Amino acid sequence: MNKTFDRYAGIVFLAIGAFFIIESHRISANAYGSSVGPNVFPFGLGILLGLLSIRLIYETFKYQQTENQKEKLDYKRFAIILVASVLYALLLEDAGYVVTTFLFLLIGFQTMQRGKIFVTLIISLSFSVGVFLLFDKLLNVPLPSSASWLGIL
Amino acid sequence: MSTLEFLLHGFSVAFQWYNLLFAFFGVLIGTAVGVLPGIGPMNGVALLLPITASITGTLSPEQAAASGIILLAGIYYGAMYGGSTTSILLNTPGESSSVMTVIDGHQMAKQGRAGAALGISAIGSFVAGIISLLGLILLAKPLSAIAINFGPAEYFSLMILGLLAVSGLVGKSMTKALIMLVMGLLLGTIGIDAVSGAARFTYNIPILYSGISFLTIAVGLFAVGEVFKSILERDSNSGALAKIDKPYPTKQDLKDSALPITRSSFLGFLIGILPGAGATIASAFSYVMEKKLSKNPEKFGKGAIEGVAAPETANNAAAGGAMIPLLTLGIPGSGTTAILMGAFIMYNIQPGPLLFENHPSVVWGLIASMFVGNLMLLILNLPLVKIFAKMISTPVKYLLPLIIAFSIFGVYAVQVNSFDLLLLILCGLFGYFLSKNDFPLPPLVLALVLGPMLENNMMRALTLSNGNYAIFIQKPISAIFLLISVLWLVVPFLLKRRKNKGKNTSVEIGN
Repeated sequence: MNKTFDRYAGIVFLAIGAFFIIESHRISANAYGSSVGPNVFPFGLGILLGLLSIRLIYETFKYQQTENQKEKLDYKRFAIILVASVLYALLLEDAGYVVTTFLFLLIGFQTMQRGKIFVTLIISLSFSVGVFLLFDKLLNVPLPSSASWLGIL
Repeated sequence: MSTLEFLLHGFSVAFQWYNLLFAFFGVLIGTAVGVLPGIGPMNGVALLLPITASITGTLSPEQAAASGIILLAGIYYGAMYGGSTTSILLNTPGESSSVMTVIDGHQMAKQGRAGAALGISAIGSFVAGIISLLGLILLAKPLSAIAINFGPAEYFSLMILGLLAVSGLVGKSMTKALIMLVMGLLLGTIGIDAVSGAARFTYNIPILYSGISFLTIAVGLFAVGEVFKSILERDSNSGALAKIDKPYPTKQDLKDSALPITRSSFLGFLIGILPGAGATIASAFSYVMEKKLSKNPEKFGKGAIEGVAAPETANNAAAGGAMIPLLTLGIPGSGTTAILMGAFIMYNIQPGPLLFENHPSVVWGLIASMFVGNLMLLILNLPLVKIFAKMISTPVKYLLPLIIAFSIFGVYAVQVNSFDLLLLILCGLFGYFLSKNDFPLPPLVLALVLGPMLENNMMRALTLSNGNYAIFIQKPISAIFLLISVLWLVVPFLLKRRKNKGKNTSVEIGN
């Protein structure tokens, strides 16, 4: 168990609990025809979350930190993929589905393993165009089009 | 109409060409999901949930629901078949309910009996699928009949029991499981309250009025989170693949497995019905049971065919059993069934006692399609198992970016906004870090699905009692449910206290 993570998580959950307790006061306490308002449920849950978080923080003082051998995490690849995913999400609507998906996959494949440019190009292109044609054209699931600035698709 | 007539009607739904196609693709994708290491039934169903919604968009609501659920359920039980393949050939379980299969399955593969092991797990899975379906048909009506008399107070307490049951069994720390549970319930309160119409925690942000989308959360936590994990921890499937000779067990194998398969079908089915238990526990129990009952228990661990037949049968039977509380009570007992429940709600269908009356063609179509799907799986897994075995060597480097692209596509196709895409990635991050630190995710998803209904029933019960909270203990059935819930929390705590030095045997539930 990771003591530090648990302790910080406990504090964050405590803050979330407090947030819901305080903010539930701003919801109107009366609902027509009911003696219990819409604020009761989140208010009670906020208190529950607060109590559980305190219990979690308390527990972190009790158990021994089991020293788990430091795993080597691959932060570099992860960071690239994460940034690429966020950009993909942000640009999807403006740049269109085919272009963003193609670029995301290409970057993703190359980040996972360099090389084989030709194979990765083919897979990225066929996936992005394939999904777009199948869903946007055939199944009428509207996807953002790249037509405005590419002239095709 | 009698049950038989309903079932026949169900078959007429299941045999429509597109539903056959949906069932086929469901079990095909399910088998693939089971075979691919790292992706379990929960991830597979979550990943395909939005895509199913968009594919079925052109059908009428009732048909769309039937087809969508047929496909998603196909993934669920299909994954149970596929999970054995990696266990046997690669010594790595494809999903958590196949952990027990590794022990004897891989030994058999080493002895050159991989084909027999694969064959018997396909046959066992098939028998389990059929037996649990028959159980489902027999139990569905009486259970619905009981549940239909439940008032809001009884429902509230039953949901509390369901939520606690799942939280009590997952992960190492009950505190963490309960935190995730309450978080899920809190997330569910964001948006317009269905009872009073009040906007809660929306802060004039338009996108929050409709609430946090269950779909985005489920795909983020289970599909994207799993990809992040694989990238960070450099998951790779090393190890040599065992060769498959003939995928058919011998006569002696069949004779040895007949009884274990029958026993495990019933055991798995019964465990599957219990909320919170599920396939992983069922397979572990059945393995232990067979070892106890066996005349020569020393064979176990050295390639006993019973050691493969029993857990593989039990996990499929449990998957079938888990459908019962979902369909008849509207209370999912595991992460995967919670996502299935989310799918029902997405199609505007409320699982529960009225399901069989209000939407007979959806529910009987689903049941009938599970017969068909199991038959398809038997065919896919006996002669074609070699092709699936090849999928194990699918390079992870292609798979992971494709899963992200698929998740983004799926969420966008249903939600049509960028906010949900960012939320999706955020959930992926949370999913990875939380589950890595033993914060179990299934309680959160379950709570998110059940939360609004829980509150709704609580409000209705309190309206009936004029705000008196004692109503939950005054109604006898409700009181019993609450009592069991309290015991569920207190008993493990007391047991732990009594033998404090005893090792924490925790079972992870991943289905």
